[in-house]
Amino acid sequence: MSLTSEITEFLQSVVAAMGMDLSPTVEETPDGTRINLEGEDGGVLVRRDGEGLQALQHLTATAFRRQLGDDRRIVIDCNGFRKDKDLELKQMARFNAEKSRSSGMPQEMGPLNPYERRIVHLAIAEDPGATSESVGDAFMKTVIISATK
Amino acid sequence: MDDAGVDQGGVSPVRQVIEVVVRALVDQPEAVRVTETERRGLSVLELRTAPGDMGKIIGRQGRTASALRTLVAVTAEKHGTRAQLDIKD
Repeated sequence: MSLTSEITEFLQSVVAAMGMDLSPTVEETPDGTRINLEGEDGGVLVRRDGEGLQALQHLTATAFRRQLGDDRRIVIDCNGFRKDKDLELKQMARFNAEKSRSSGMPQEMGPLNPYERRIVHLAIAEDPGATSESVGDAFMKTVIISATK
Repeated sequence: MDDAGVDQGGVSPVRQVIEVVVRALVDQPEAVRVTETERRGLSVLELRTAPGDMGKIIGRQGRTASALRTLVAVTAEKHGTRAQLDIKD
């Protein structure tokens, strides 16, 4: 059995144990494997800024850490909640790059978790006129976006 | 008696969730034990694992334990109950 189907099976058993009716859709993206859990029962996972989804993400990544290794990513979504949030974050990063150019002042985003910071860094990497840097020594860090001169 | 309603037949969703997730996290899934007692509308779940697996359940800065507690809370909420997870070491 492939790792993706093993993970999907694990998610299905967790979701079933929680008493929810959600069906997984698997999507392989250049950024890793995205498993979207779809169904009307998803509301409880995305409540309070996706707290339950975030917990499920962490537990799944931890359970399969050894098999996933360093370079394979797994993203768990529910009714596209995370996809929408990721897009918002990307747009916010671009907006802040623009703002740092027009104001000449570095812009701060966060505190953000590692997953969110990665999205910001990747969005800024596409912009030749700006750089991004994480500051802080905790799990959550602030990202500073500056215009390059 | 408050403790009377324990485990009459089926396993509660909260207990099932803990068992499924914890068994996937540890090296010795057969050593995972979850007991559930009911106290004034609050389910108290006690989790025991092989001593060597305890660190995996807690995780760096307690993040795995905290994620497990969140999932427990979400499951209880879904079923209109309240639950508390006690990790026994």
